[in-house]
Amino acid sequence: MTIKVGLDFGTSNSGVALWDGTRVRLLPVDRRGVQPEVVKTILYITRDYEAYIGQEAIELYYRHNVDRQRHYVRQRAGEIEYTGADMHYVRDVYVFVDELQPGRLLQYLKTALRKQGARFQGTHIFERHYAAGDLVQTYLSQLKQRAEQVLGEKISGATLGRPVKFSNDPALDIQAEETLRQAALAAGFEQVDFEFEPVAAALFYEQSLTKPETVLVFDFGGGTLDIAIMRLGEQDRRVVYASGGIDIAGSDFDRAIIEQRLMPFFGAGQVAHQPELLDLIAAVPEWAVLPEMATPINRNVLEKAIRTGMVPVRLRALQTLIYNDLAFSFYYRVEAAKITLSSLGAAVIALDDPGIDLWELYTRNQFEADIESLRAKIEAVLLETLAASGLEPGQIEAVVKTGGSSNIPLFSEMLGRIFGPEKIKASNAFSSVAAGLAIKAGNR
Amino acid sequence: MITPQKIKEWLKEVEQRPESATLVLKYVTDRLRELDARNEELSAENIALQSGARVEEYESRLAHLEYQLDLLRRRFGDIALVPKESAQAPPAPLRLLAYNARGRILCFNAEEDLPYFIGGLKTAGEPPCLLAVFPNEELLFLFNSGRVSARPVEQIRLVDPGLATTFEQGSLPDEPHGGELLACLAPLSDLPLAHFFLQISRRGWVKKTLATMAETILGKRFLGKGVVQKSDQPFALTLGRKGDRLALVSREGHVVSLEVDNLSYSAEERIRLPATDHLIAAFLLGQGHDLLALTEEGKVLLRTGTDLEPSTSPMAKGLTLIPPARLEKGTRLAAALAVDTATRVVALDAGGRFTVQTAAEVRGAGALDAGPGLLAVAGLAGPERVR
Repeated sequence: MTIKVGLDFGTSNSGVALWDGTRVRLLPVDRRGVQPEVVKTILYITRDYEAYIGQEAIELYYRHNVDRQRHYVRQRAGEIEYTGADMHYVRDVYVFVDELQPGRLLQYLKTALRKQGARFQGTHIFERHYAAGDLVQTYLSQLKQRAEQVLGEKISGATLGRPVKFSNDPALDIQAEETLRQAALAAGFEQVDFEFEPVAAALFYEQSLTKPETVLVFDFGGGTLDIAIMRLGEQDRRVVYASGGIDIAGSDFDRAIIEQRLMPFFGAGQVAHQPELLDLIAAVPEWAVLPEMATPINRNVLEKAIRTGMVPVRLRALQTLIYNDLAFSFYYRVEAAKITLSSLGAAVIALDDPGIDLWELYTRNQFEADIESLRAKIEAVLLETLAASGLEPGQIEAVVKTGGSSNIPLFSEMLGRIFGPEKIKASNAFSSVAAGLAIKAGNR
Repeated sequence: MITPQKIKEWLKEVEQRPESATLVLKYVTDRLRELDARNEELSAENIALQSGARVEEYESRLAHLEYQLDLLRRRFGDIALVPKESAQAPPAPLRLLAYNARGRILCFNAEEDLPYFIGGLKTAGEPPCLLAVFPNEELLFLFNSGRVSARPVEQIRLVDPGLATTFEQGSLPDEPHGGELLACLAPLSDLPLAHFFLQISRRGWVKKTLATMAETILGKRFLGKGVVQKSDQPFALTLGRKGDRLALVSREGHVVSLEVDNLSYSAEERIRLPATDHLIAAFLLGQGHDLLALTEEGKVLLRTGTDLEPSTSPMAKGLTLIPPARLEKGTRLAAALAVDTATRVVALDAGGRFTVQTAAEVRGAGALDAGPGLLAVAGLAGPERVR
């Protein structure tokens, strides 16, 4: 028997579901997680190239890295060729590598698909080079193994979700889908096809309909916003009036919080004319870059500045953030505060370590002010998509919200204001896309 | 960083959503409480700085670091200060210390004076103990009251083997206080490299203490007894590192090996001994070391290091070295130690006679000449272990 599943490979969370002909079964692929049906899109690769995903990856990362020793060795990275008017010479370039690093933790793998080429050429993990496709393949292969363990059977195919637009550049969009297809095939799926994520969410919503409806799906996750306007409920005729999207989502809100509220804790605005220090401070919002900054040279730069009394408390905090492997905890707490603000009016972002005393009381009001420019862009895309469908807001009978960021009250209010609050329907934020993909996979 | 602008923003949140007021107030008061506690700590620190107490503390810490550096220099030599020729000079001869519970120590030149016969070494109470050390070593004295003191070996007078016949002729570097007995001597120069003090009681209770506490322990001259039961007594003390294995050997032939990492910081019974039994040896079992046990008659019982699986259960009975039939006939162990092929075994019998043989010879013969009864043994490290 061939089994084909629906696989939602999300920026922040992923999931696998199976359609048995009558109902959708969401597979518990992360039993260590709070929601076993949702697995975080996080990959941890150890020095011996063992791969771990989800909560297990996070736990292992902490176990391996908290209070660990470091030993930096100088390694030749390549060469730089200088050519001037009357000179030409080549110079070796060296980097400091922590030879005791036990593993690499990677997040936002889906974003790497969008940024292939000039913006992301891959990464070296110890002695091996991983292109975006290799990282995705490693993750999907682990996810497939887990799903097969749950089912007790081999999975032969998958319908994968994809955003309406990986990129505004059509060439990059095609390249991203092709990379994802090849990664899935290499991970062991024999048949791979795609469905737009908002369309998948709509298919799941369609199961609850008793009469045909014109629906706007607002799929707002960790990496992208995808919108689809469809006519649902007529099995023989499913019309997609318009679809659209933008690469603004949860991770951009986290970044906005860090940039607008937390950077001063690490010296932003208080250090000037010190390019090396400014580079370090500028790296704070960069989740993947920050651990790479932990080199002996940077430590000396920070130590020297602290000794001279240049904002010592802030720079000590920056040093602790970089050298105590607190980057992941820091971003996790920012994200947790953002999620809390979806249900409460205030949250605290705190990081308490001997070198850092970060405490920020953050209100929903402040959050909404910080992401106002992003909200405006999102509203513009929403209205553009609506205009492209040729429909008026009044003709939309239901607005289906899905994805973690769709729970942010500011966007619920925005949708309510445009379409009317009574039309807003919340679908399962983390699983409706996987469920819809399973329906698609089962019916194909 | 709480700025007026931020306070305005919090108030705006409360104005727009009054239900947030409780939450904001709770977070702010929690923070206030936390900062208040921290302020109290900082004020105390300020007082300590102003009164000079902190300076004294740092001075004392510096003095302890200098002491540890001195220990390291004695252990490994001062590469920077010692000329190359003298650094390559042959090592100073080992000292063999025979000591009793009353704190009397007879110090011999282990390379020249042995084997030697000295009469009258039998004591009324406990049999004497033997310890082989380098002459530049520092010794930690542990008394049964929990008191400790550190003395250099060079302060202990070498005795003339032709004249010394009783413990009364030995040195008394630290006389036990009234009612006190010397529990053991332990070499201390590995202290800067060690992670723990390991205390073992006569009834098999084990306690570890962080070596970082050494400054306080040596400063206050008190480590503690490391015993729980009134009838128990401190027995042995050794310095250990993470990953080491500790072996405990009892008189009736029970042996356990314990991972130092798994030992408790409070005294815990780690070997279940019958009421008639007690420990006769406790030592670290290094890589490539075997356990050599000797009965009172001098018969050799050998177990390789790999035979001794580390025990994880809190009160293990351990491996039995003496079969029950032999035990019934009165066979008991007198001593045990960790040996490698180069170790020389020094034995002291009840007649006051020292014998020296290599571990290989002892193993080959299956016994050593214990005369009227074996009292104690010590291992002289092989040449490769002598720096």
